[in-house]
Amino acid sequence: MEFQDPAWRGLLEPLLAAGRAAGADLVEVFLERSDHLGALAEQDVITNVSPSFGMGAGVRVFSGRHDGFVSTNDLSSAGLMAALDQALAMLGLLRNPRSPDGFEGLPPLKDYALAKASWLGGSPSLPEVASRLLEGTAALARHGSHLQSRRGSYARDWQDVLVCASDGTFARDIRLHQSLGLNVLAADGDHRASVGRRYGTQGRPEDLRDWDPDASAQDLCSSAATMLYANYVEAGQYPVVLANRFGGVIFHEACGHLLETTQVERGTTPFADCIGDPIAHEAVTAIDEGLSEGSFGSLSMDDEGMEPQRTVLIEQGILRRFLSDRAGEMRTSHPRTGSGRRQSYSFAAASRMRNTYIAPGPHTPEDLIASVDRGLYCKAMGGGSVGPTGQFNFAVEEAYLIEQGQLTRPVKGATLIGEAKEVLPRISMCANDLELAAGFCGSVSGSIFVTVGQPHIRVDAITVGGR
Amino acid sequence: MNTPITAVLDGGELKEQLDRLAAQAGLHQWDLGASCSTDTSVQVDRGEPKQMKGAERRAVTVRVWNDQGLVGITSTSDLSEAGLARALEGAKEASSFGNPDEVPAFSPLAKAPLQPLEQPLKESCSILDLLARLKEAERDLLASHPAITTVPYNGLAQRSSERLYINSDGALRHQQLSTASLYLYARAEETGRKPRSSGAVRLAYGLEDLDVHGCVEEAAQRTISHLDYAPIATGRYTCVFSPEAFLDLIGAFSSLFNARAVLDGVSLSQKDSLGKPLAVPFLSITDNALHPGNIGSPLFDGEGTPTAPLRLIEGGVLRHFLHSEATARAFGVLPTGHAGMGAKVSVSPDWFEIGPTPGVTAGEEGLDRFAPMGRRAGMGDLVVIDSLSALHAGVKASQGAFSLPFDGWLIRDGQAISVEAATVAGDIRTVLTSLIGFEGPSKVTPSGLCPWVWVEGLTITGDG
Repeated sequence: MEFQDPAWRGLLEPLLAAGRAAGADLVEVFLERSDHLGALAEQDVITNVSPSFGMGAGVRVFSGRHDGFVSTNDLSSAGLMAALDQALAMLGLLRNPRSPDGFEGLPPLKDYALAKASWLGGSPSLPEVASRLLEGTAALARHGSHLQSRRGSYARDWQDVLVCASDGTFARDIRLHQSLGLNVLAADGDHRASVGRRYGTQGRPEDLRDWDPDASAQDLCSSAATMLYANYVEAGQYPVVLANRFGGVIFHEACGHLLETTQVERGTTPFADCIGDPIAHEAVTAIDEGLSEGSFGSLSMDDEGMEPQRTVLIEQGILRRFLSDRAGEMRTSHPRTGSGRRQSYSFAAASRMRNTYIAPGPHTPEDLIASVDRGLYCKAMGGGSVGPTGQFNFAVEEAYLIEQGQLTRPVKGATLIGEAKEVLPRISMCANDLELAAGFCGSVSGSIFVTVGQPHIRVDAITVGGR
Repeated sequence: MNTPITAVLDGGELKEQLDRLAAQAGLHQWDLGASCSTDTSVQVDRGEPKQMKGAERRAVTVRVWNDQGLVGITSTSDLSEAGLARALEGAKEASSFGNPDEVPAFSPLAKAPLQPLEQPLKESCSILDLLARLKEAERDLLASHPAITTVPYNGLAQRSSERLYINSDGALRHQQLSTASLYLYARAEETGRKPRSSGAVRLAYGLEDLDVHGCVEEAAQRTISHLDYAPIATGRYTCVFSPEAFLDLIGAFSSLFNARAVLDGVSLSQKDSLGKPLAVPFLSITDNALHPGNIGSPLFDGEGTPTAPLRLIEGGVLRHFLHSEATARAFGVLPTGHAGMGAKVSVSPDWFEIGPTPGVTAGEEGLDRFAPMGRRAGMGDLVVIDSLSALHAGVKASQGAFSLPFDGWLIRDGQAISVEAATVAGDIRTVLTSLIGFEGPSKVTPSGLCPWVWVEGLTITGDG
């Protein structure tokens, strides 16, 4: 049964009423249908195609400051009621048909999906996907040398969601995310370099058709050629210039997560009591929003049915807001920001980032490099993580030494290590070239689509791990 | 109230359904992997329930061979007849893009006898019982030291699950499991000093078997041991890896032993690497899913091949690769029980046993990281690597390089000082040939069995 079918109202309203009658403060149901297509090209052959589809529901019950969450693949009336019973039991509640429920019924459906019904059908067919991927790996062969492995991968994630809650939330949305990755392994004797790039958009079915494989392959192969013969970086403390786009992953991991109310609840953010206080250099303004057209982290509504906002997290170094979801607002009093997100029905929503970036500043990238006497330019970042006490570390995929204000030799093996509280005051210069990059973020409510971003920034000192 | 374990997946019924639906779709060869699970879990925060979760999950992957013999798959959580029919259609469509250069086949061992294994099925407890037990564990951990103020990451979970493999050739595998897990990750803070954290984890077949007390004690001891910390100077050090850390490092470079990675050209090993030395002569590594310490051992892999011990490195020499059916065929050997399921089948390790080669002197004898003058006079400082982080980011498996943050201690004249923030970097090939020896008995961990491992000359980067 499609989610726009009015029969869902008849199935969901009794569920919400039953939860309220059992004594729950709030009952929320998240329904999902999904359709995924993954494909992999290696060298000049499609080696894997992995379609999948599914459906499920997450039922969440709140009582006081506590909540219980149950997920199931069974979307029948009995299956959903069984999930509700289990969630109620977690809070010591029992269904009681004779109790008043105080539930006034669901309002008309807010249907953000109406204009998106054609997205799945309009996205590339499997033959088109295969053809584009092979164009990509062929372009890698044309533009690269010493390539031992060439890979192109594609993923299309389509999601149809319906959210209802006993507070009158009743909304539906369709999401379409497409991502494309290119990777090479270059090898020459003992020299090896593996380099990858990922591109991703939301809500643009045509995206893969518009992709320029030659431009992507040229960019990637140029990096691989540079890094193949690079020496290992010498470990130590350096001033660092971080490139725009995916350089923003450090802000996302090291600072952004600490501004989610889930971290306030856990007591694991050093910024919990810092609203209105300076936590970063005055050059830093940071924003999280779900509104940028086509960006990976953009949404018409979050996974709790709320429209996303543009949230200024840090304004000229001063902490302004936290990202908050329904539970975060209840437990920390930080108002919701349309940031309740989850990977799928099997996760309860939590406060998560969307499109997160440092705002542009007045400088040019060249100004930043010229300001460093001896340091490191991090052109392409790899992955990283942040520990429970705020310590972060990031692999640098492509880096160059800066000597007397000039880029000189490429170096490999660099890892940036630090702590958000110490590094934020050291971001002393921001350039004027903000760009965003698509990524995936794994955390308490699963892996979600996000955008990271920044202009070129200068960090006055950071520990660089190397050999 | 406890809930008894009953089987949900019916292999015979699924086989009958698939036979009928496949015939309607014009498909004659197929196989299917299915799983289902019921999970309950709780988290707490300073004596209050933080999150209580329940989940019922079902998943199936069907794989079909089309008229040209090419393979396609589709996965779904919809196990209804309509869902299975749609999955078969999807797999048939995907099969038109099957790779003609490498077509998987049924495993020749898909009907071979399985090794008997003692895996007791334990009844599930109520979620309120889970909650009470976790609250008590958290309370004990908070009471263990005044500096431990929160346990920000914690969880007590139980699962009952089933796996099934069937194929159109009559193979039928079924495994049913119950497991329970506990993790406690504490945070300690002293006035004017940075917060420090560490933790512990325990697995068992049921809640009653979980070593809750041991987990609390280990989490407390580990967390407290990092309270007295200092930065470390950048340089080269002799390092002592904990069993968990060394197992993590070997696991991150398991493409060394992976036939799929070898065939794809992304492993440091090559087809002719077998029989050649890869490590010091006293190192042996076996992959053994069936070790009794491996809670929840899979009895068969994604292609129905039985799991079994496989010697990877023996006496420092690379002896065997991990295989699926397709890679085994390419190497002219039998599959080893390490396959997933797919059009292109992935290969992965199960559970490592790492230790000395029987009959070979195990490197230096009597190693003791806490000996007052080090393991021998004038040796200098040691760095103990207790746990590694960010392996997904800091390991370049196809290059052999790693640069990883770690928790650990600097040991100077037998005294341990926690390392504030540092990374360890090196090359796995150098690590394997720079082992000095092993310390202490092997320890069973969730990812394998290993003693403490001493390695010479690794680069440590710190702020000291």
